[in-house]
Amino acid sequence: MSWVTAAWSMNAAACLTFAGFYFVVWCKQRQSPAYLLFSCSAIAAAAISAFELWMLNSRTVDQYESLVRWIHVPTWVLTLSFVAFVRLYLHAGRVWLVWSIYGLRTLVLILNFIFPVSINFTAITDIRQFSWGGQLVSVPVGTPSPWGLLSSVSLLLLLIFSVDATITVWRHGDRRRALLIGGSMIFGAMLAWHVPLVIWGILDVPFFLGFTYTAIVGVMGYELSSDVARAAGLARELEISEKRLNLAADSANLGMWEWDIAHDEIWITDKGRAMLGFDSSEKLDFDRFRSRLHPDDRESVLKAVDSSLGTGAEYQSEYRVVLPDGQVRWIAGRGHVEFDGDGQPVRMRGASVDITQRKLAELEAARHRNEMAHLSRVTTAGELSGSLAHELNRPLGAILSNAQAAQRMLANGGVDVAEFREILNDIVSEDKRAAEVIRRLRLWLQKGEVQQHSLRINKVVRDVLKLIRTDLISQNVSVDTELARDLPTVTGDPVQLQQVLVNLVVNACDAMADCDTPEHQLRIRTGIENGGGAVIVSVTDRGGGIQVKEVEQIFEPFFTTKAKGMGLGLSVCRTIIAAHRGKLWATNNAERGATFHFTLPKDASAKEVLIT
Amino acid sequence: MSSPLGPTVFVVDDYAPGRRSISRLLRAAGFAVTAFASAKEFMAQYDAEAPGCLVLDLAMPAVSGLELQGLLADRGSLLPIIFLTAYGDIPKSVQAMKLGASDFLTKPVNDEDLLAAVRVAIEKNRALRRDEEELSEIRAHLATLTPREREVLEYVVAGKLNKQIAGELGTVEQTVKIHRAHVMQKMRVQSVAELVRMTERCGIGGSVY
Repeated sequence: MSWVTAAWSMNAAACLTFAGFYFVVWCKQRQSPAYLLFSCSAIAAAAISAFELWMLNSRTVDQYESLVRWIHVPTWVLTLSFVAFVRLYLHAGRVWLVWSIYGLRTLVLILNFIFPVSINFTAITDIRQFSWGGQLVSVPVGTPSPWGLLSSVSLLLLLIFSVDATITVWRHGDRRRALLIGGSMIFGAMLAWHVPLVIWGILDVPFFLGFTYTAIVGVMGYELSSDVARAAGLARELEISEKRLNLAADSANLGMWEWDIAHDEIWITDKGRAMLGFDSSEKLDFDRFRSRLHPDDRESVLKAVDSSLGTGAEYQSEYRVVLPDGQVRWIAGRGHVEFDGDGQPVRMRGASVDITQRKLAELEAARHRNEMAHLSRVTTAGELSGSLAHELNRPLGAILSNAQAAQRMLANGGVDVAEFREILNDIVSEDKRAAEVIRRLRLWLQKGEVQQHSLRINKVVRDVLKLIRTDLISQNVSVDTELARDLPTVTGDPVQLQQVLVNLVVNACDAMADCDTPEHQLRIRTGIENGGGAVIVSVTDRGGGIQVKEVEQIFEPFFTTKAKGMGLGLSVCRTIIAAHRGKLWATNNAERGATFHFTLPKDASAKEVLIT
Repeated sequence: MSSPLGPTVFVVDDYAPGRRSISRLLRAAGFAVTAFASAKEFMAQYDAEAPGCLVLDLAMPAVSGLELQGLLADRGSLLPIIFLTAYGDIPKSVQAMKLGASDFLTKPVNDEDLLAAVRVAIEKNRALRRDEEELSEIRAHLATLTPREREVLEYVVAGKLNKQIAGELGTVEQTVKIHRAHVMQKMRVQSVAELVRMTERCGIGGSVY
C-alpha cells in the first residue's frame, strides 16, 4: 500500500475517531448541540476522505461519475454542520450569510442530482492517470459545467463567513480562538479552491478536500477538548471546594439541607440528620421534618416557611425539635427559595445549626434576671406595705361601714330604699376596687414568665402613681406629670416596667426626704426620643443630687447610699430596661436634684392592641 | 336627737366612698353629721362654737390630718379629734395622741368602736365646753371684784386669817370681814374651800408668797 492510500485512510480514521468521541460526549451532555454538530462534520469529513480515496483509485468513468455525484452529500452535511457549529460555539457569523450558504449549498446538492452527471461536469469523458508521490492516481477529464460556479460561490460565501466570524471573535477579545478556529477555517476555505482548479484542469493534483477539513476538525477538536479538560478541572475544583465547605460546615456544626419542593424530598448532610435525630439512610420529606418540631414551635416554623415560599424572602427561624429519645434541642435554620420560570418555588436550600447551648444560656440569664427582678419587687412591696395596706383597707373600711350602716337602718325600722340602693352600689364598687388592688399586688408579687404586651407608657406611669399614692402623700411629695399625648406603644412586661418606675419614684422621694428641702416636688415626664423611634420617661427630683464621682457607679449592684437599702434597685432596673432593648441613665440637674431617664423602643408593629 | 344646737360629728376625708360610708353609719346611729372632702373645706366652715367632734382621715393630700389638728389647736378648738387611717403607722399615731387626739382608729373600723369613740369624744367635748362655760362664769365674777376685794381674795385662798390679812393690808379686821363677805357674795360661793377650788381653776393663788 502506498503512502497516499495510507494518508487518506488515516485521515478518514482520525475524523471518525473524533466524531465517535464527541458523539459520546454529546450523549452525556445533551444540552450542548455543538458536540453533535462537531461529530456530524467529522463524520462528513471522514466520508469525504473515503470518497476521495475511492476516486484516486477509480479506473472507470462510470464509477468516477457516480463518485463525483455522491461526494456532494457529505460536503453538504459538512458545510451545514460546520456553519451551525460556528454560530453556536463561537456565537459569531452573520445570520444572512448562514442562510445564504445553506440555501446555495442545498441548491447545489439538488441541481447536482438533477443534472446527468453532476453539477461540476456536463460529461466526464476520460480518466487521466498519472504518478503522484510514487502512486498512480486518477483525475477526471471532461467538460466542466458552468453550474459548478454555484458551488464556487458557496465556497466564497463560506470564506467570507469564516473571515467575518473570525473578526467578530477577535474583537470580542478571544484572540486565541480567533487565531486557531478562525485561522483554520479561513485556511480550509482557501485550500478548498483546489477543487474547481482541478475540475477546470488547471491544477494537476488529486482531490484532497478531506485534509482541509481535517485541519479544521483537528483544531475544533482541540478547542472542544480543552473545554472538556476545563470542565474536568472545574469538576475537580468543585469537589475540593465542596469538601472544604463540608469541612467548614461540619466544624461549625452546620447541617446543610436542600428541599426539592416539587417532589417533596429533603436531602440533608449527616450532621444535619444527627441534629434532627434521623438515620443516615432514612428517606426524608417535609412531613418527617415537621414531625420532629416541638408542638409549640410548629406553627411559627410553618409560618416562616410559607412566608418565604410566598415572598421569596430569606427563610429564618429558631425552633425546638424533639428527638425520638425525648431530648429537646434548639435549632436555628436559615435558607432561601429558588423559583422556576413561572415563579413557582422549586427548591429551598439552607443550613441549620444547633443553638441549644446558647439558647439555654439565654434562658438561664433571663431566668436569673427575672428572679432578681422578682426579689427586688418583693423587697419594694415590703417597703410599700403601708401604701398597699392603705389601698386595700380604704375600700374594705367603706364596705364595712356601709354594711353596718345598713344593718342599723334596718334595726331602726326606717328603710329608705333610695339610700339602700346607694349603699349597695357603693359596696359593690368598693369591693371591686379592693379586688383590683389585690389583683395588682398579685401581679406585682407573681414570679411568672415575662409577658410581652403592647402597652402605653402613660398608663404605666398612672398605674404606678396609683400604687404608691399613699407613700407620696405621707412623705408630703407632690407629683407633677407631663405626659405627652399620642405616644407610640411599646412592647414589654407591664409589671417590670412599673417596677422600674416605682424604684425611680421611691428613690426620688428618699432623695428629697434626706435633704430637708421645703419643696418636695417630683416631676414625671414622657415623650418621644430618637426621632420617634423610642419613648422616653424622665423622673426628676429636687433632692441633693447624685453625690458620687461617677454617676454610673449608682447602677452597680450593691451600691447604696441608704441606711437600709440593699443597693439592688437601680442595677435591677437597668437590667430590666436593657432586656426591653432600652437604656437607663441618670444626670444631675443644673439647679438641684437629679433626673433619671429611660428609653424604650417603640413597637415594631404599630398594632393598636392595648393592655388595660 | 339632732338639733342645730345639738352636737355634730364633722367628718373630713378626701376619699369619697369612705366619707359617705362613715357619714351613713353615724347618721344611722343617730348623730348629726357634716362631711368635708378636705381640711381646707372644713376650715372654711369652721365654727368654734359648734359642739361635737371631728372624725379625721390621717392621710390626705395638701393639708394632712395632723396639720389640721395643729391648726385647730392653735385656735384653741375644743373639738376632740378621732383619727381614722387605713394604715396605722406608729410614729404618726404617737404624734397624734401627743397632740391630744381623742382616739386613733384603723380602717376598716367596726361600728361599735367608732360609735363608742364618737360618744366619748362628744362627752369630752361637752365636759370641755361645760368647763369652759364655768371658767368664763368665774372670770366674769372675778371681773366684778374691786382691786381691794381681789387682794383680799388672794389672801383668803392662800389660807390667811382675817387678822393676818388686816395686818398685811394695814387695816382693821372689821374692814377685811366686810370685804370678805362681798367676795363670797360676788363669787357666789358658800365656803372658803369652794372659793379655793374655783380660783385654782383660774390659776389664781400662791402669787402672794
